[in-house]
Amino acid sequence: MNIFLKFIRYISAFSLMGKISTFIIIFMIIIAVFAPLVSPYPPDKSSGPALSPPGSKHIMGTDDLGYDIWSQIAHGARVSLIIGIGTALLASFGGGIVGIIAGYKGGLLDKTIMRIIDIMIVLPDLPLIIILAAFLGPSLVNIIFVLTIFSWIRPARIVRSQILMLKEMDYINSAKTYGAGVMYLLKKHFLPEIFPIIAVNMIRLSSRAIVSEAGLSFLGLGDPASKSWGRIIHYATNFRGIYYTPFWKWWLLYPWLTLIILVLALAFLSQELEKVYSLRK
Amino acid sequence: MSKRSLLSLFLLIIFVFVTMVVDVDLIGQNVFAAENTGDYAVNTIRLSGGDYGYPSPYAHYPRGPGGYKRNLIFDSLLEKSEDGLIPWLARDYQVINGGKDYLFTLRDDVVWHDGEPFTAEDVKFSFEYGLEHPLVWSDLSKDDIESVAIINDNQVLITAVSANCSLLSNIGNQRIIPEHIWKDVDVPKEYNEPAAVVGTGPYILTDYNKEHGTYRFDAFEDFWGPQQNIKTILFVPVSEAILAFEKGEIDLTDVSPDLLGRYESNPAYKIVQQPALWGYRLIINMKDVDVLKDKNVRQALVYAIDQQELIEKIERGAAVAGSAGILPPDHVYYNPDVKNYQYNPDKARELLQESGYTSLSFELKVPTQSVRMAELIKEQFARVGIEITIISADTKTHDSRINKNEYELAITGHGGWGGEPDYLIDRFAGEELTGTPSALGAVGYNNEQLNSLLIQQKEEFNSENRRKLLYQVQTILAEDVPEIPLYYTSGYSVYRPEKYDGWMFMYDHHSLSHSKLSYLERK
Repeated sequence: MNIFLKFIRYISAFSLMGKISTFIIIFMIIIAVFAPLVSPYPPDKSSGPALSPPGSKHIMGTDDLGYDIWSQIAHGARVSLIIGIGTALLASFGGGIVGIIAGYKGGLLDKTIMRIIDIMIVLPDLPLIIILAAFLGPSLVNIIFVLTIFSWIRPARIVRSQILMLKEMDYINSAKTYGAGVMYLLKKHFLPEIFPIIAVNMIRLSSRAIVSEAGLSFLGLGDPASKSWGRIIHYATNFRGIYYTPFWKWWLLYPWLTLIILVLALAFLSQELEKVYSLRK
Repeated sequence: MSKRSLLSLFLLIIFVFVTMVVDVDLIGQNVFAAENTGDYAVNTIRLSGGDYGYPSPYAHYPRGPGGYKRNLIFDSLLEKSEDGLIPWLARDYQVINGGKDYLFTLRDDVVWHDGEPFTAEDVKFSFEYGLEHPLVWSDLSKDDIESVAIINDNQVLITAVSANCSLLSNIGNQRIIPEHIWKDVDVPKEYNEPAAVVGTGPYILTDYNKEHGTYRFDAFEDFWGPQQNIKTILFVPVSEAILAFEKGEIDLTDVSPDLLGRYESNPAYKIVQQPALWGYRLIINMKDVDVLKDKNVRQALVYAIDQQELIEKIERGAAVAGSAGILPPDHVYYNPDVKNYQYNPDKARELLQESGYTSLSFELKVPTQSVRMAELIKEQFARVGIEITIISADTKTHDSRINKNEYELAITGHGGWGGEPDYLIDRFAGEELTGTPSALGAVGYNNEQLNSLLIQQKEEFNSENRRKLLYQVQTILAEDVPEIPLYYTSGYSVYRPEKYDGWMFMYDHHSLSHSKLSYLERK
């Protein structure tokens, strides 16, 4: 209960946009978690005539196989969120650890890591993601893995610079002279300072991962068995001449709208968090 | 740098850029202004492109759009019209000695694209070299032909190992290549020089870009045969075919049944329905998967597939259901009385139970563009308790997996279903008869009775008797189910008759743009 109240208090500091965004994200998470309950039909079985427009039976209509679009979007939310959160968590923690090591140890190790980061920054990520995804084969885990490879750099760099700055602080130095070990410093001083930055970054990364996954699925490189939003869009756009038929008005529009809304909500939220964080400082 | 100099630099860049564009434009216009349509009815026809390899007989990708581009450059002794074979490089032909000998009388007014005269030597060479180094696409193998003899300057006698009624078509379809170019080539697959695309055909390849998938063919002025109707054929990259067609970027396109309404009542467009000779089949690995060796299981698979649902949903109704006897209803030798597997999930479950299988699971390999179909089949199989895992790959990877027999179940789609029924030999008796594992599916399948019928029909010259034999063949295939034809597509093509109206279908083929005669003047 205490956490909940704290959360509410935290949110109440947000602007209207931030509040709406938070609400949308929570709403999406609820839909994803309770997908089988909120969707009236299975996402991978035909439940009505093919390509029927939105109506009382199918609120968002059906696709070419007669699958319910709303059910697919609800189940697709799972894929999108798993990939978003999974990639963000892996990349931030992986990147965070690398950043801490580089910043704290310094020396040759730091130099090596920084050069690797430089190389990774120069590499054009989207073409490489496409190649890797095609090479490793389509599966949820592979997609998360591939996206993580290209996402850990930013958190690593930010964390490293923070650590470098903190390392020189007087209170850290005095703590050190009093015999504080690495783990102690990390727990007591470094992590509390770094965590908010990582949190902001995580939200950014997750929205990027969600878009990348949709892009890969759109290109046909996603997991063919999964029902992600990108995949719905992929099938819709692959339907011959869809723009000349009325079908795009539901088959393409709804997944596209959901995707846009989620990504926008994430973007606003990260902006909001940044603001709140800098105010507190 | 001051703001002023920045601005002038910026303007300079823009100026350079604009002049470049204008220059290019002017050059482009000059070319077109200088162009003389001459005797050609149409200057340029644009068709949807895509890379199908260098169109030499040894380098193109083995699918329709590759093989038929090759045919624009390379002629054969006979050509295919709407109704059957017509004389082509051979002015006349005779089948003698009960189908063992074939005497071709050649035209004497033919030259190669490089100006060299075409001779009987070239024909002899084409068969000898072309069988020693098999072309990407060839209906003949080394074991079919005994000898090729030059009788005189314009007559060639081809002797077969044994009489065979599809040989005329197979020999007639062999591409004739120039001896003076290929005689020094040891590894024809790697020979990609401009000389590799010198033929006698109506068109010359004047540009090919692998990365963009573009081809340019220009009419060959000294072509021996009918006048070309079109001066230049361009294959251009297209992302959205309908949009490109309506904007006039391409002149012919396939159109989904949902869009027919856009063109039906408009006299500026003409819609043609394609003959159902391009089909999808579900192939079954009976060599490595023990369960699939059981005929009951294979029959259960057929009963479990609702072909009508596939046709309605995947092709939007524009297809003909597969016949278990393999040959499609539009085929000359189609047997309408083979065992009819109406969709019947109960029967499927019953058959599976009889064989003692309660839960089966298979991997289904599909090319990426068929994932939708695979999903539907997965759903249908799930109704009878068969679990399917879909594995998709791009067409080229998928094709090579099938060739290496790396699958349990797989979907493959291709044309050629209307051809000589000898393709049944390759598919179902390949391993037994030629000693090479069939690259086309039905691995691990062998039926002695079927094999002997297939040989008999091959040697039967009486059309009625051959029909009877082929009816029996289809009956056996329908009972054994070595593979499952899913459906044959009969999609629609649309074009502007005002721009060009010469399109035609070859008697055994589904595509307008693939026929050579589509581009030539007809009497």
